[in-house]
Amino acid sequence: MAKASDFAGKKDDELFYVVDYSPEEAERIGYSNYSYWGSVLKNFSKNKAAVFFLVLFLALVIFSFIALAIAKYDYATLVTDSSLAFKKPNGEYWFGTDNLGRDYWCQVWYATQVSIRLALIVAVGESIVGVIFGLVWGYVRSLDRLFTEIYNLFDSIPYIIYMTLIALIVGQSFTIMAISMVAIGWLPMARRVRNMVFMYRDREYNLASRCLGTPLWRVLSKNILPYLVSVIILRMAQSIPATINLESTLSYLGLGLGIETPSLGLLLSKVRGFFLDYPYLLIFPASIVSIISIAFYIMGNAFSDAADPRNHV
Amino acid sequence: MLKYTAKRLLQSLITILIAVTVTFLLMRMLPTDYYFTEDQLMKFTPEQKEAALEAAGLLDPIGEQLIRFYGQLLHLDFGTSRRIQSGIAVTRVIGSKMGVSLRLGVISIGISLVAGLLLGIAQASFKDKVIDWIGTVYTVIVNAVPSLVIYSLVLVFGSKYLGFPSLYSSRNVGMSSVLPIVSLSLASIASYALWMRRYMVDEMTRDYIKLAKVKGLSYSQIMFRHVLRNALVPMVQFIPQALLLTISGSLLVEQFYSVPGMGPLLTDAIKRYDTSVVQTLVMFYAALSIVGIFLGDLLMMIADPRITISGKGGSR
Repeated sequence: MAKASDFAGKKDDELFYVVDYSPEEAERIGYSNYSYWGSVLKNFSKNKAAVFFLVLFLALVIFSFIALAIAKYDYATLVTDSSLAFKKPNGEYWFGTDNLGRDYWCQVWYATQVSIRLALIVAVGESIVGVIFGLVWGYVRSLDRLFTEIYNLFDSIPYIIYMTLIALIVGQSFTIMAISMVAIGWLPMARRVRNMVFMYRDREYNLASRCLGTPLWRVLSKNILPYLVSVIILRMAQSIPATINLESTLSYLGLGLGIETPSLGLLLSKVRGFFLDYPYLLIFPASIVSIISIAFYIMGNAFSDAADPRNHV
Repeated sequence: MLKYTAKRLLQSLITILIAVTVTFLLMRMLPTDYYFTEDQLMKFTPEQKEAALEAAGLLDPIGEQLIRFYGQLLHLDFGTSRRIQSGIAVTRVIGSKMGVSLRLGVISIGISLVAGLLLGIAQASFKDKVIDWIGTVYTVIVNAVPSLVIYSLVLVFGSKYLGFPSLYSSRNVGMSSVLPIVSLSLASIASYALWMRRYMVDEMTRDYIKLAKVKGLSYSQIMFRHVLRNALVPMVQFIPQALLLTISGSLLVEQFYSVPGMGPLLTDAIKRYDTSVVQTLVMFYAALSIVGIFLGDLLMMIADPRITISGKGGSR
């Protein structure tokens, strides 16, 4: 640090000098190495629990493929053999066998993949639908009333009723399940997005954009959407445990996926009558499903904290 | 206030009406075979079926059927069950199941309110201490892990190690209700604790609490006289809704322990295409949740006179 005494008694010519214009220098000064996603990543990685669960989840996904590849039995060619029923986990049947004498290992890992796939598809699907409707709902004033009424209509009846009706009238399959879950699940997302849009829609820069004739979709996607990232991510992460929960409930009630696509929920519901005597039938699917759910719950919270620009500097 | 209530009631009625209409139309899309009991299906010839449908007015244009259906509703005639309990009025079918669900539900709400609020209070009072940490882990687990897994664990623990019956039975109601009640309570304890803690922690950072500290009030005085009482206000709005929803019962819990309550009735009715039961149930559920939300808002206004609810439907 220069002290005031250093400058005492010097003339202006000695203190100041003219520099030439240098584009490199100008760039260097104007450039800040802040990057949004970089900061998100940095903040996220500070949360040790979240990183641990992320690694655990990825390991689980990778392992489910390895597990199916090294399995001694293939899910598609399982045969029932009641003489082999309820074998405890051993060298031949790594997770034992179920009540019909089928290898449990390949069933569990196959079901894990189905559950994860369903949860991810639903999460992405309901985010896309929810965000689009939420943006329009929040931004276009004249539609607010209509959307609110639709929301109240759907929201005032337990979701399980819709799911039951759909399952019985349309049918039961992976696709139908995914679509009907998205069809119901976009509502909470749209509601959150709508509330956020309400906060930002009349900020000065949006007024300016409107005056300058910026098209609606551009205002929505460039001016408003970036504020919503953390909310959207949080809701997406929450929807994964919720989907798994709903799916297992429906499967238990006999309204879930068909037999050809077993989910962890379906496995759990099939062993309801047996797991008191054969706990291993419960432990394996239950712990996998719990790990997935808890992982997303914690990762979602951590990620949404990290995605909030206010926590960045 | 009166105007607001009237407006809101009218809105709720319309919502219920639309929901019922949609259900009615959906149920009418099913094949007509479902209108007969299993017995009738076996015996009837196609002509007899046709005649029966004709007599019941099921071959009329859908609009006419709908208007007739509204007329019946106005007379509070909900029809008779066709398959669940053949020929018995729907209201009686539902009434017989409601008692069971109601009893389990009310007990479980009582338990979870006490336990949940106490846990929340303890967490807020000892924030960032061991008990707060334990409570947080509990809420995360209960919120994240699928209910089916949690109920299974309750079942294993409760019936293997504590010796409670694993299925509900009407002969041993007391003992066999324990596990269903525990299962019902676990999730609501977590949510009451979570919100109670949240509201108390928010309240603790208010200026008037600082003033109370400066004035030299003891910690327990501050917590119980000021923080707790203010934090309870937003909590009361959950209570009527929770109470009303117990009538509908928890589908999963009742199915899981074979409790003969309202929960299994709905899936049963839908699976067996008992249209009048389904319609009545949908209407019933919708009405319950709408009334619950409304009562909750009302109760909150009574608990804290500063709160006035505006006419905006979307502010919830």
